[in-house]
Amino acid sequence: MSKFEPGMESMVDMYIYETTTLLEQLDQILIKTEGQGSFDKESINEIFRIMHTIKGSSAMMGLENMSSLAHAIEDMFYIIREEKPVISDSKDLYELVFSASDLLKAEIDIMQNDDYDFTDFSPCHDRIKAYVAVLKNGGGEAPAAEEATASASAAAPVAAEGMVTVKVIFDDDCKMENLRALLLVNKIREDCSEISYEPSDIETNADTAKTIIDNGFIVRFKAIDGNDQLVINGIEEALNVKSYEIIEEAAAAPAPAAAEVPKAAAPAPVAAEAPKAEAPKAEAPKPVAAPAPKADEGKKSVEQINNMLQGRQGGGGKQSLISVNLNKLDQLMDMVGEIVITEAMVTGNPDLKGLQLDNFQKSARQLRKLNSELQDIVMSIRMVPLSGAFNKMTRIVRDMKVKLNKDVNLVFEGENTEVDKSVIDNLNDPLMHMVRNAVDHGIEENVEDRIAAGKPAQGTVKLSAYNSSGEVIIVVSDDGAGMNAEKLLDKGERNGILTKPREEYTEREAFQLVMAAGFSTNEVVTEFSGRGVGMDVVKKNIEKIGGTVSVESKLGEGTSFIIKIPLSLAIVDGMNVSVGKSIFTLPINSIKESFKLHENQLIHDTYGNEMIMIRGECYPLIRLYKCYDLEPTYTNIYEGIIILVEAEGKTACIYADELLGEQQVVVKPFSPMFNDFNVKQYGMAGCTILGDGSITIILDANNIITNF
Amino acid sequence: MSEYIEQTTNFLSDGGEILQFEIDDAVYGIEIQYITEIIQIQQITIVPKVPSYIKGMMNLRGKVIPVMSVRSRFGKEEIPYDDRTCIIVVEWDGLAVGLIVDRVREVAMISPEEVSSTPDYKNVNMNHFIKYIIETGDEIKLLLDCETLVTER
Repeated sequence: MSKFEPGMESMVDMYIYETTTLLEQLDQILIKTEGQGSFDKESINEIFRIMHTIKGSSAMMGLENMSSLAHAIEDMFYIIREEKPVISDSKDLYELVFSASDLLKAEIDIMQNDDYDFTDFSPCHDRIKAYVAVLKNGGGEAPAAEEATASASAAAPVAAEGMVTVKVIFDDDCKMENLRALLLVNKIREDCSEISYEPSDIETNADTAKTIIDNGFIVRFKAIDGNDQLVINGIEEALNVKSYEIIEEAAAAPAPAAAEVPKAAAPAPVAAEAPKAEAPKAEAPKPVAAPAPKADEGKKSVEQINNMLQGRQGGGGKQSLISVNLNKLDQLMDMVGEIVITEAMVTGNPDLKGLQLDNFQKSARQLRKLNSELQDIVMSIRMVPLSGAFNKMTRIVRDMKVKLNKDVNLVFEGENTEVDKSVIDNLNDPLMHMVRNAVDHGIEENVEDRIAAGKPAQGTVKLSAYNSSGEVIIVVSDDGAGMNAEKLLDKGERNGILTKPREEYTEREAFQLVMAAGFSTNEVVTEFSGRGVGMDVVKKNIEKIGGTVSVESKLGEGTSFIIKIPLSLAIVDGMNVSVGKSIFTLPINSIKESFKLHENQLIHDTYGNEMIMIRGECYPLIRLYKCYDLEPTYTNIYEGIIILVEAEGKTACIYADELLGEQQVVVKPFSPMFNDFNVKQYGMAGCTILGDGSITIILDANNIITNF
Repeated sequence: MSEYIEQTTNFLSDGGEILQFEIDDAVYGIEIQYITEIIQIQQITIVPKVPSYIKGMMNLRGKVIPVMSVRSRFGKEEIPYDDRTCIIVVEWDGLAVGLIVDRVREVAMISPEEVSSTPDYKNVNMNHFIKYIIETGDEIKLLLDCETLVTER
């Protein structure tokens, strides 16, 4: 961070966040337009705007290299926009802009390092310059590209007819006044049909800062539809503006207000005219002060002010969103978790046992209700749609398509499914690995192979997400060649990662081998995959957030990687059940019912496996103490309790000693030490601390059903 | 934490402080910088489907940490816990683990001349739990490699 001025450090986070978002937008626009084959006017403008913002804010942060690269791209798009040259080779253009966007992203990534040094972007600059030259020759006319933007905006510093001249003074010591001025100009530009300013070379000349401090910053503008007030408001709201002064009112517009406005500090005059202006006066004394210049009649000006205020409130869409440090949300979440435990400690306090406490119970219920609402709110704050993570993949697929020369289409399904923010953060890398795998290994190398197999020439990689019983399920599937279990086993044998004799591996288990450390089916290491570290990293990352990964594949039809992540990482409604001395917590949402067994319900198959008949349906019986080698209180099936659980369409009966009661529990992930022993596979999803300080293991019905 | 650990690499040449504990009659040591605290035996929740030397997990002020028995890690027979049984909590790289030992002794300062390497034979110290051998006065102590002890399968 040492590269930033001390005063700037607090802005670094904001800058990084903003610029990253903008670059992602850029990628999306590029990918969209690349699909269409041409830039439409709107997207050119959008790219132009993005680059302009990046340029401005980078310059403000003192990142000259980023600023100048953004500037070069901006210039290039300026030419594309203004001169509409015939773009003969749009592929090059896309490649160029994509690579520039990558450079900027990489720069942001390394920016936070202490020993960060500006990267030299000059190769990219040269490429852009070369391309601009090509563009110009193709387009015929050739104005000086470097000067293009500057000359367009600063063409006429002389006040033209109908222009308003405003002198802006910035806060003392706000630093880099020229860039503040530039930001100001950018802000009001869209409301102006013409704009010019003095000094005119603020973008390029840092010395202008001093001029601005001494003489103020002069802006001349002609507002769209003569709505000068809007622009003036814009000036007022701009950052670091200390005061402003209207020097010359637009000649064409009647200017009764001009005299009243000189210094924007006096809020009083309008208040009398505009009864409804009282409320906002308090929160924003300055803006209301300037009465509309076209105040022909008092009525109209009141109306206008009201409109203006509404506009400001309605346009407050920006202000109704705040970005919060994720750490604070995590703390909040932890705190809510502690409250839930404490609540259980208080309401279930052993001291209260056997007492008749009607009022206490009533209050306790109220507390519980409020707590659960609080939880819901905190959860919902942290929920973000998966679309962001998915959209990043379009870019990866696009790059790979070009490099590997494969025709692949990326399809989304259910990208609006929401998951916890911390899940998203841990999901980016795994998704990237899986999508890369799907494109690199999944989809067939030769189109002929696909056609021969009766599949469309274009391969499809599908990212889908949906909710299912308290879990989010994300599937990365391809319609490629599928995996060959025999080949996987061959490879596993060679790499020495088989843990049991080869014959004992089922097809399903063979597929899971791809997630073992040091396993890569690709013989050749490519840029994208083949180092054999991909899938086990995926597995580790997913396990870190309490999820699981599994593979399904059919030779010739494709492969699917299925990620299951608990929807709420933190708090679940659980039913505590005891088995001997151990207590387990079953998530309520997987429990269908619980009951004591009747004599005639128990059936044995020919191998002695137990099944239970309920209302004409037959379910397998899983005795927990047998699965986990525990000492139960009851081995007699009629004494304990049967719990009917359902997960992902599979239903089974679990046998335990007794139900201890329902409780909300805070999920804590297992220590990595337990994860090394694959406890998740045995149906243990995590653990939790109960009100009395004891620990229980949270069970995962699905894994119990599948694995026992 | 990491800077402490770096120091330990020179235990052979520099010596250092170790916490001594006993299992049966043998004396073992763990470098002091791994240790966060020593507590009485706690209520331990059994975790199924893990090797038998991992006894389960315990609640250490709201943190759930795994507990392993050093005794059974060394393949010795279990004995019932008594009031001298202790749990040594070790932590590095964010991984905290409780080690159940028979008795804890005091911390000892070990000088370099008391330290010697383990013999490098095939059958001796096969699992590399022992890092160095320490000879003080009339007693032999075995300095354990804490990380191998905990993480090796």
